Amino acid sequence: MNCQKFEDVVGDLARGQMMETYLRSTALSHLDDCARCSQRLRDEQALMRGLQALSVQMSAMSASNEAETRLRDAMRASLVPPPALAKVNPRRLYWLAVAAAVVVFIGAIVAAKWQWQPKGNKSVPVEYAVNDESPKSNQPNKPATVRNVETPKTAKPVIRSSRSTVATRRSPRAAETVANHATEIATDFIPLGNINNTSLQEGGTIVRVELPRSALVRFGLPVNMDRVNENVKADVWLGVDGLAHAIRFVQ
Amino acid sequence: MNQNEELDDSELLRLMLTGDEQALVVLYRRRQAAIYRFAYQMSGSVALAEDVTQEVFLFLMRDGSMFDPSRGALSSFLLGVARNYVLRRVRGDHLLSPLSEDVESDEHVNAASPLDDLTRTESIESVRKAVLSLPERYREVVVLCELQEMSYAQAAEVLECSIGTVRSRLHRARALLLNKLQPVRAEPAETAVKSERCFA
Repeated sequence: MNCQKFEDVVGDLARGQMMETYLRSTALSHLDDCARCSQRLRDEQALMRGLQALSVQMSAMSASNEAETRLRDAMRASLVPPPALAKVNPRRLYWLAVAAAVVVFIGAIVAAKWQWQPKGNKSVPVEYAVNDESPKSNQPNKPATVRNVETPKTAKPVIRSSRSTVATRRSPRAAETVANHATEIATDFIPLGNINNTSLQEGGTIVRVELPRSALVRFGLPVNMDRVNENVKADVWLGVDGLAHAIRFVQ
Repeated sequence: MNQNEELDDSELLRLMLTGDEQALVVLYRRRQAAIYRFAYQMSGSVALAEDVTQEVFLFLMRDGSMFDPSRGALSSFLLGVARNYVLRRVRGDHLLSPLSEDVESDEHVNAASPLDDLTRTESIESVRKAVLSLPERYREVVVLCELQEMSYAQAAEVLECSIGTVRSRLHRARALLLNKLQPVRAEPAETAVKSERCFA
Protein backbone atom coordinates (compact mmCIF):
# COMPACT_ATOMS: atom_id res chain seq x y z
CA MET A 1 0.00 0.00 0.00
CA ASN A 2 1.22 3.50 -0.75
CA CYS A 3 0.46 6.79 0.99
CA GLN A 4 -2.28 7.71 -1.47
CA LYS A 5 -4.22 4.52 -0.80
CA PHE A 6 -3.57 4.86 2.92
CA GLU A 7 -5.17 8.30 2.80
CA ASP A 8 -8.41 6.67 1.61
CA VAL A 9 -8.64 4.37 4.63
CA VAL A 10 -7.11 6.49 7.35
CA GLY A 11 -10.51 7.85 8.39
CA ASP A 12 -11.99 4.38 8.79
CA LEU A 13 -8.88 3.21 10.66
CA ALA A 14 -9.09 6.15 13.06
CA ARG A 15 -12.78 5.64 13.67
CA GLY A 16 -12.24 1.91 14.17
CA GLN A 17 -14.81 1.05 11.54
CA MET A 18 -15.16 -2.39 10.07
CA MET A 19 -13.04 -2.97 6.99
CA GLU A 20 -11.55 -5.84 5.00
CA THR A 21 -8.92 -7.75 6.92
CA TYR A 22 -6.45 -7.64 4.06
CA LEU A 23 -6.93 -3.89 3.61
CA ARG A 24 -6.48 -3.30 7.32
CA SER A 25 -3.35 -5.41 7.60
CA THR A 26 -1.69 -3.79 4.57
CA ALA A 27 -2.56 -0.34 5.92
CA LEU A 28 -1.05 -1.16 9.30
CA SER A 29 2.06 -2.66 7.70
CA HIS A 30 2.43 0.54 5.67
CA LEU A 31 2.67 2.45 8.94
CA ASP A 32 5.88 0.59 9.82
CA ASP A 33 7.53 1.98 6.71
CA CYS A 34 6.06 5.49 6.56
CA ALA A 35 6.47 7.95 9.43
CA ARG A 36 4.31 10.50 7.64
CA CYS A 37 1.31 8.19 7.50
CA SER A 38 1.89 7.16 11.13
CA GLN A 39 1.67 10.79 12.13
CA ARG A 40 -1.38 11.19 9.90
CA LEU A 41 -3.14 8.33 11.68
CA ARG A 42 -2.23 9.75 15.10
CA ASP A 43 -3.66 13.12 14.11
CA GLU A 44 -6.85 11.48 12.87
CA GLN A 45 -7.18 9.55 16.10
CA ALA A 46 -6.58 12.70 18.12
CA LEU A 47 -9.24 14.51 16.11
CA MET A 48 -11.57 11.58 16.66
CA ARG A 49 -11.02 11.79 20.40
CA GLY A 50 -11.62 15.52 20.34
CA LEU A 51 -14.88 15.16 18.43
CA GLN A 52 -16.02 12.39 20.75
CA ALA A 53 -15.21 14.54 23.77
CA LEU A 54 -17.18 17.39 22.24
CA SER A 55 -20.06 15.04 21.53
CA VAL A 56 -20.06 13.80 25.12
CA GLN A 57 -19.88 17.34 26.44
CA MET A 58 -22.95 18.31 24.43
CA SER A 59 -24.90 15.10 24.96
CA ALA A 60 -26.82 16.51 27.91
CA MET A 61 -27.97 19.60 26.06
CA SER A 62 -31.65 19.99 25.33
CA ALA A 63 -34.29 22.64 24.84
CA SER A 64 -35.77 24.39 27.85
CA ASN A 65 -39.05 23.43 29.50
CA GLU A 66 -40.54 26.73 28.39
CA ALA A 67 -40.33 25.57 24.79
CA GLU A 68 -42.46 22.55 25.62
CA THR A 69 -44.98 24.75 27.42
CA ARG A 70 -45.19 27.11 24.46
CA LEU A 71 -45.75 24.20 22.10
CA ARG A 72 -48.54 22.82 24.25
CA ASP A 73 -50.16 26.25 24.36
CA ALA A 74 -49.85 26.52 20.60
CA MET A 75 -51.53 23.17 20.16
CA ARG A 76 -54.41 24.10 22.46
CA ALA A 77 -54.84 27.37 20.61
CA SER A 78 -54.93 25.61 17.27
CA LEU A 79 -57.70 23.31 18.48
CA VAL A 80 -60.03 26.14 19.57
CA PRO A 81 -62.30 27.29 16.72
CA PRO A 82 -62.13 30.98 15.86
CA PRO A 83 -64.76 32.79 17.95
CA ALA A 84 -65.82 35.13 15.14
CA LEU A 85 -67.06 32.27 12.99
CA ALA A 86 -68.81 30.56 15.88
CA LYS A 87 -70.98 33.61 16.64
CA VAL A 88 -72.28 34.21 13.14
CA ASN A 89 -76.07 34.49 13.22
CA PRO A 90 -77.60 33.35 9.89
CA ARG A 91 -80.81 35.31 10.51
CA ARG A 92 -78.85 38.50 11.00
CA LEU A 93 -76.91 37.84 7.81
CA TYR A 94 -80.19 37.39 5.94
CA TRP A 95 -81.55 40.78 7.02
CA LEU A 96 -78.25 42.46 6.22
CA ALA A 97 -78.39 41.03 2.71
CA VAL A 98 -82.00 42.22 2.27
CA ALA A 99 -81.11 45.73 3.42
CA ALA A 100 -78.15 45.85 1.05
CA ALA A 101 -80.35 44.72 -1.84
CA VAL A 102 -82.94 47.43 -1.08
CA VAL A 103 -80.27 50.13 -0.97
CA VAL A 104 -78.86 49.00 -4.31
CA PHE A 105 -82.35 48.91 -5.87
CA ILE A 106 -83.22 52.43 -4.72
CA GLY A 107 -79.89 53.69 -5.91
CA ALA A 108 -80.47 52.20 -9.33
CA ILE A 109 -83.91 53.89 -9.63
CA VAL A 110 -82.54 57.29 -8.63
CA ALA A 111 -79.68 56.95 -11.10
CA ALA A 112 -82.04 56.01 -13.91
CA LYS A 113 -84.35 58.95 -13.22
CA TRP A 114 -81.49 61.37 -13.08
CA GLN A 115 -80.16 60.10 -16.40
CA TRP A 116 -83.48 60.61 -18.24
CA GLN A 117 -84.17 64.12 -16.94
CA PRO A 118 -84.21 66.82 -19.74
CA LYS A 119 -80.95 68.63 -19.45
CA GLY A 120 -82.40 72.07 -20.33
CA ASN A 121 -79.80 74.78 -20.20
CA LYS A 122 -77.41 72.71 -18.17
CA SER A 123 -73.84 73.31 -19.20
CA VAL A 124 -72.11 70.14 -20.29
CA PRO A 125 -68.44 70.18 -20.78
CA VAL A 126 -67.12 68.77 -24.02
CA GLU A 127 -63.64 68.57 -25.25
CA TYR A 128 -64.26 70.23 -28.58
CA ALA A 129 -67.72 70.97 -29.85
CA VAL A 130 -67.38 74.06 -32.01
CA ASN A 131 -65.88 74.93 -35.33
CA ASP A 132 -68.82 74.25 -37.50
CA GLU A 133 -68.02 77.67 -38.82
CA SER A 134 -65.99 77.97 -41.92
CA PRO A 135 -65.30 80.87 -44.23
CA LYS A 136 -67.35 79.18 -46.90
CA SER A 137 -70.51 78.98 -44.86
CA ASN A 138 -70.15 82.42 -43.31
CA GLN A 139 -73.04 81.62 -41.00
CA PRO A 140 -73.28 83.82 -37.94
CA ASN A 141 -73.66 80.91 -35.63
CA LYS A 142 -72.96 81.76 -32.10
CA PRO A 143 -69.46 80.59 -31.51
CA ALA A 144 -68.32 78.60 -28.57
CA THR A 145 -67.03 80.31 -25.52
CA VAL A 146 -63.41 79.82 -24.72
CA ARG A 147 -62.54 79.33 -21.08
CA ASN A 148 -59.57 78.37 -19.06
CA VAL A 149 -57.15 79.21 -21.79
CA GLU A 150 -53.83 79.62 -20.11
CA THR A 151 -50.94 79.45 -22.52
CA PRO A 152 -51.95 78.88 -26.11
CA LYS A 153 -48.33 78.71 -27.16
CA THR A 154 -47.48 75.70 -25.06
CA ALA A 155 -50.69 73.77 -24.63
CA LYS A 156 -53.94 73.28 -26.41
CA PRO A 157 -56.66 75.22 -24.65
CA VAL A 158 -59.42 73.24 -23.07
CA ILE A 159 -62.58 74.43 -24.76
CA ARG A 160 -65.88 74.19 -23.01
CA SER A 161 -69.06 75.00 -24.79
CA SER A 162 -72.34 76.18 -23.44
CA ARG A 163 -75.17 74.38 -25.11
CA SER A 164 -77.65 77.16 -24.71
CA THR A 165 -77.46 77.99 -28.42
CA VAL A 166 -76.74 74.55 -29.62
CA ALA A 167 -79.17 71.66 -29.54
CA THR A 168 -79.35 69.89 -26.22
CA ARG A 169 -78.35 66.67 -27.85
CA ARG A 170 -75.57 66.38 -30.30
CA SER A 171 -76.87 66.20 -33.85
CA PRO A 172 -75.43 63.64 -36.27
CA ARG A 173 -73.79 66.45 -38.22
CA ALA A 174 -72.16 67.82 -35.10
CA ALA A 175 -70.99 64.38 -34.19
CA GLU A 176 -69.49 63.96 -37.64
CA THR A 177 -67.72 67.30 -37.28
CA VAL A 178 -66.29 66.30 -33.95
CA ALA A 179 -65.13 63.04 -35.45
CA ASN A 180 -63.44 64.94 -38.27
CA HIS A 181 -61.73 67.21 -35.79
CA ALA A 182 -60.57 64.20 -33.86
CA THR A 183 -58.65 63.04 -36.93
CA GLU A 184 -57.12 66.48 -37.54
CA ILE A 185 -53.57 67.36 -36.66
CA ALA A 186 -53.07 70.90 -35.42
CA THR A 187 -50.15 73.00 -34.33
CA ASP A 188 -50.14 74.78 -31.00
CA PHE A 189 -51.74 78.20 -30.89
CA ILE A 190 -49.31 80.84 -32.08
CA PRO A 191 -49.90 84.27 -30.53
CA LEU A 192 -50.62 87.17 -32.86
CA GLY A 193 -49.45 90.50 -31.54
CA ASN A 194 -49.91 91.38 -27.89
CA ILE A 195 -51.54 88.82 -25.71
CA ASN A 196 -51.89 88.74 -21.98
CA ASN A 197 -53.52 86.64 -19.33
CA THR A 198 -56.41 89.03 -18.83
CA SER A 199 -57.48 88.79 -22.42
CA LEU A 200 -57.11 85.03 -22.28
CA GLN A 201 -59.37 84.73 -19.29
CA GLU A 202 -62.08 86.83 -20.87
CA GLY A 203 -62.79 84.07 -23.38
CA GLY A 204 -63.28 84.33 -27.10
CA THR A 205 -64.24 82.54 -30.27
CA ILE A 206 -62.45 80.08 -32.51
CA VAL A 207 -63.09 80.48 -36.21
CA ARG A 208 -61.96 78.07 -38.90
CA VAL A 209 -60.44 79.86 -41.91
CA GLU A 210 -58.39 79.01 -44.98
CA LEU A 211 -55.19 80.86 -45.76
CA PRO A 212 -52.66 80.66 -48.57
CA ARG A 213 -50.00 78.11 -47.72
CA SER A 214 -47.36 80.83 -48.03
CA ALA A 215 -48.74 82.26 -44.78
CA LEU A 216 -46.97 79.43 -42.94
CA VAL A 217 -43.65 81.15 -43.66
CA ARG A 218 -44.63 84.13 -41.52
CA PHE A 219 -44.90 81.87 -38.54
CA GLY A 220 -41.65 80.04 -39.18
CA LEU A 221 -43.29 76.84 -40.33
CA PRO A 222 -41.91 74.75 -43.23
CA VAL A 223 -43.67 75.08 -46.60
CA ASN A 224 -43.84 72.50 -49.36
CA MET A 225 -43.03 74.58 -52.45
CA ASP A 226 -44.86 72.15 -54.74
CA ARG A 227 -48.12 73.00 -52.97
CA VAL A 228 -47.42 76.65 -52.31
CA ASN A 229 -50.50 77.73 -54.27
CA GLU A 230 -52.87 75.61 -52.23
CA ASN A 231 -54.74 76.84 -49.18
CA VAL A 232 -54.21 75.61 -45.65
CA LYS A 233 -56.81 75.41 -42.88
CA ALA A 234 -56.32 77.38 -39.72
CA ASP A 235 -58.19 78.13 -36.51
CA VAL A 236 -58.14 81.77 -35.51
CA TRP A 237 -58.92 82.63 -31.95
CA LEU A 238 -60.86 85.90 -31.71
CA GLY A 239 -61.00 87.63 -28.39
CA VAL A 240 -64.06 89.39 -26.94
CA ASP A 241 -62.64 92.59 -28.37
CA GLY A 242 -63.00 91.14 -31.87
CA LEU A 243 -59.26 90.98 -32.47
CA ALA A 244 -57.40 87.88 -33.52
CA HIS A 245 -55.21 86.80 -30.63
CA ALA A 246 -53.80 83.50 -31.80
CA ILE A 247 -53.78 81.11 -34.71
CA ARG A 248 -53.12 77.45 -35.23
CA PHE A 249 -52.76 75.51 -38.46
CA VAL A 250 -54.72 72.39 -39.10
CA GLN A 251 -54.03 69.46 -41.40
CA MET B 1 -49.29 8.89 28.77
CA ASN B 2 -47.60 5.52 29.36
CA GLN B 3 -49.48 4.03 26.47
CA ASN B 4 -48.21 6.78 24.16
CA GLU B 5 -44.62 6.26 25.24
CA GLU B 6 -44.68 2.79 23.77
CA LEU B 7 -45.89 3.98 20.39
CA ASP B 8 -43.50 4.57 17.53
CA ASP B 9 -42.88 8.01 16.04
CA SER B 10 -45.26 7.62 13.11
CA GLU B 11 -48.13 6.59 15.34
CA LEU B 12 -47.43 9.46 17.73
CA LEU B 13 -47.44 11.85 14.81
CA ARG B 14 -50.78 10.51 13.62
CA LEU B 15 -52.27 11.01 17.07
CA MET B 16 -50.73 14.44 17.37
CA LEU B 17 -52.30 15.53 14.10
CA THR B 18 -55.69 14.52 15.44
CA GLY B 19 -55.16 16.90 18.38
CA ASP B 20 -53.70 14.55 20.98
CA GLU B 21 -51.60 16.81 23.18
CA GLN B 22 -50.02 13.92 25.07
CA ALA B 23 -48.75 12.47 21.81
CA LEU B 24 -47.10 15.80 21.08
CA VAL B 25 -45.45 15.81 24.49
CA VAL B 26 -44.10 12.29 24.13
CA LEU B 27 -42.83 12.93 20.62
CA TYR B 28 -41.29 16.23 21.67
CA ARG B 29 -39.49 14.76 24.66
CA ARG B 30 -38.24 11.90 22.54
CA ARG B 31 -36.83 13.97 19.66
CA GLN B 32 -36.20 17.51 20.84
CA ALA B 33 -32.72 16.95 22.25
CA ALA B 34 -31.24 15.72 18.97
CA ILE B 35 -32.80 18.63 17.09
CA TYR B 36 -31.62 21.11 19.68
CA ARG B 37 -28.07 19.74 19.66
CA PHE B 38 -27.96 19.70 15.87
CA ALA B 39 -29.09 23.32 15.71
CA TYR B 40 -26.64 24.35 18.42
CA GLN B 41 -23.72 22.51 16.88
CA MET B 42 -24.49 24.02 13.50
CA SER B 43 -24.92 27.58 14.75
CA GLY B 44 -23.17 27.88 18.08
CA SER B 45 -26.17 29.83 19.38
CA VAL B 46 -28.35 28.65 22.23
CA ALA B 47 -31.13 31.07 21.33
CA LEU B 48 -31.19 29.93 17.73
CA ALA B 49 -31.18 26.28 18.78
CA GLU B 50 -34.16 26.92 21.06
CA ASP B 51 -36.04 28.77 18.33
CA VAL B 52 -35.34 26.15 15.71
CA THR B 53 -36.46 23.31 17.98
CA GLN B 54 -39.74 25.08 18.59
CA GLU B 55 -40.19 25.93 14.92
CA VAL B 56 -39.59 22.32 13.90
CA PHE B 57 -42.39 21.08 16.13
CA LEU B 58 -44.70 23.90 15.14
CA PHE B 59 -44.05 22.87 11.55
CA LEU B 60 -44.85 19.29 12.49
CA MET B 61 -48.15 20.37 14.06
CA ARG B 62 -49.05 22.37 10.98
CA ASP B 63 -47.66 20.29 8.13
CA GLY B 64 -46.99 16.95 9.74
CA SER B 65 -49.02 15.24 7.04
CA MET B 66 -46.13 15.95 4.68
CA PHE B 67 -44.11 13.22 6.38
CA ASP B 68 -43.92 10.05 4.31
CA PRO B 69 -42.78 7.01 6.35
CA SER B 70 -41.74 5.21 3.18
CA ARG B 71 -39.01 7.80 2.61
CA GLY B 72 -37.31 7.43 5.98
CA ALA B 73 -37.61 7.74 9.73
CA LEU B 74 -39.38 10.64 11.40
CA SER B 75 -36.17 11.52 13.26
CA SER B 76 -34.40 12.05 9.92
CA PHE B 77 -37.35 14.07 8.64
CA LEU B 78 -37.24 16.30 11.72
CA LEU B 79 -33.49 16.82 11.40
CA GLY B 80 -33.98 17.68 7.73
CA VAL B 81 -36.56 20.32 8.67
CA ALA B 82 -34.24 21.59 11.41
CA ARG B 83 -31.41 21.79 8.92
CA ASN B 84 -33.49 23.99 6.62
CA TYR B 85 -34.45 26.31 9.46
CA VAL B 86 -30.87 26.52 10.73
CA LEU B 87 -29.41 27.28 7.31
CA ARG B 88 -32.07 29.90 6.67
CA ARG B 89 -31.39 31.58 9.99
CA VAL B 90 -27.61 31.37 9.76
CA ARG B 91 -27.58 32.75 6.24
CA GLY B 92 -29.98 35.53 7.18
CA ASP B 93 -28.17 36.53 10.33
CA HIS B 94 -24.58 37.59 9.85
CA LEU B 95 -24.05 37.65 13.58
CA LEU B 96 -24.50 33.92 13.67
CA SER B 97 -22.34 33.15 10.68
CA PRO B 98 -19.44 30.78 11.25
CA LEU B 99 -16.37 32.14 12.94
CA SER B 100 -14.07 33.82 10.51
CA GLU B 101 -10.93 32.10 9.35
CA ASP B 102 -8.80 34.93 10.68
CA VAL B 103 -10.08 34.58 14.22
CA GLU B 104 -9.55 30.88 14.13
CA SER B 105 -6.04 31.08 12.79
CA ASP B 106 -5.06 33.72 15.33
CA GLU B 107 -6.31 31.57 18.15
CA HIS B 108 -4.41 28.57 16.96
CA VAL B 109 -1.19 30.43 16.53
CA ASN B 110 -1.31 31.00 20.26
CA ALA B 111 -2.50 27.53 21.09
CA ALA B 112 0.27 25.15 22.01
CA SER B 113 -0.96 22.07 20.21
CA PRO B 114 -4.65 21.26 20.24
CA LEU B 115 -4.04 17.88 18.71
CA ASP B 116 -1.65 16.85 21.47
CA ASP B 117 -4.36 16.70 24.09
CA LEU B 118 -7.84 17.12 22.71
CA THR B 119 -9.53 15.97 25.87
CA ARG B 120 -8.72 19.16 27.74
CA THR B 121 -11.60 21.59 28.08
CA GLU B 122 -9.91 24.39 26.18
CA SER B 123 -8.99 21.98 23.42
CA ILE B 124 -12.56 20.77 23.16
CA GLU B 125 -13.58 24.39 22.83
CA SER B 126 -11.09 24.84 20.02
CA VAL B 127 -12.53 21.78 18.28
CA ARG B 128 -16.01 23.25 18.65
CA LYS B 129 -14.86 26.51 17.11
CA ALA B 130 -13.09 24.65 14.33
CA VAL B 131 -16.29 22.76 13.56
CA LEU B 132 -18.27 26.02 13.52
CA SER B 133 -15.79 27.58 11.14
CA LEU B 134 -16.27 24.85 8.55
CA PRO B 135 -18.33 25.61 5.44
CA GLU B 136 -21.97 24.55 5.87
CA ARG B 137 -21.84 21.44 3.70
CA TYR B 138 -18.86 20.09 5.63
CA ARG B 139 -20.09 21.25 9.01
CA GLU B 140 -23.38 19.40 8.72
CA VAL B 141 -21.75 16.04 7.92
CA VAL B 142 -19.37 16.43 10.85
CA VAL B 143 -22.26 17.30 13.15
CA LEU B 144 -24.38 14.40 11.96
CA CYS B 145 -21.74 11.69 11.59
CA GLU B 146 -19.22 12.62 14.29
CA LEU B 147 -21.16 14.53 16.92
CA GLN B 148 -24.58 12.95 16.54
CA GLU B 149 -22.94 9.61 15.69
CA MET B 150 -25.28 8.84 12.83
CA SER B 151 -24.41 6.33 10.15
CA TYR B 152 -23.58 7.47 6.63
CA ALA B 153 -26.97 6.20 5.47
CA GLN B 154 -28.88 8.16 8.12
CA ALA B 155 -26.90 11.31 7.38
CA ALA B 156 -27.60 10.85 3.67
CA GLU B 157 -31.32 10.63 4.50
CA VAL B 158 -31.23 13.88 6.44
CA LEU B 159 -29.16 15.71 3.85
CA GLU B 160 -31.06 14.18 0.93
CA CYS B 161 -27.89 13.15 -0.86
CA SER B 162 -26.04 9.92 -1.60
CA ILE B 163 -23.94 7.97 0.89
CA GLY B 164 -20.90 8.55 -1.30
CA THR B 165 -21.42 12.30 -1.05
CA VAL B 166 -21.61 12.07 2.74
CA ARG B 167 -18.46 9.99 2.80
CA SER B 168 -16.43 12.30 0.59
CA ARG B 169 -17.65 15.42 2.39
CA LEU B 170 -16.75 13.90 5.74
CA HIS B 171 -13.28 13.01 4.51
CA ARG B 172 -12.77 16.57 3.27
CA ALA B 173 -14.23 18.02 6.48
CA ARG B 174 -11.84 16.01 8.64
CA ALA B 175 -8.92 17.21 6.56
CA LEU B 176 -10.08 20.80 7.00
CA LEU B 177 -10.48 20.29 10.74
CA LEU B 178 -6.97 18.85 11.02
CA ASN B 179 -5.58 21.83 9.14
CA LYS B 180 -7.34 24.21 11.49
CA LEU B 181 -6.15 22.35 14.58
CA GLN B 182 -2.60 21.72 13.45
CA PRO B 183 -0.06 23.71 15.43
CA VAL B 184 1.94 26.23 13.46
CA ARG B 185 5.15 24.34 14.00
CA ALA B 186 3.82 21.45 11.97
CA GLU B 187 3.25 23.41 8.79
CA PRO B 188 6.83 23.47 7.42
CA ALA B 189 7.20 19.82 8.28
CA GLU B 190 4.06 18.99 6.34
CA THR B 191 5.33 20.62 3.18
CA ALA B 192 8.56 18.73 3.57
CA VAL B 193 6.81 15.46 4.15
CA LYS B 194 4.62 15.85 1.09
CA SER B 195 7.64 15.39 -1.12
CA GLU B 196 8.70 12.37 0.91
CA ARG B 197 5.48 10.47 0.29
CA CYS B 198 6.19 7.03 -0.89
CA PHE B 199 4.24 5.80 -3.87
CA ALA B 200 5.77 2.36 -4.01
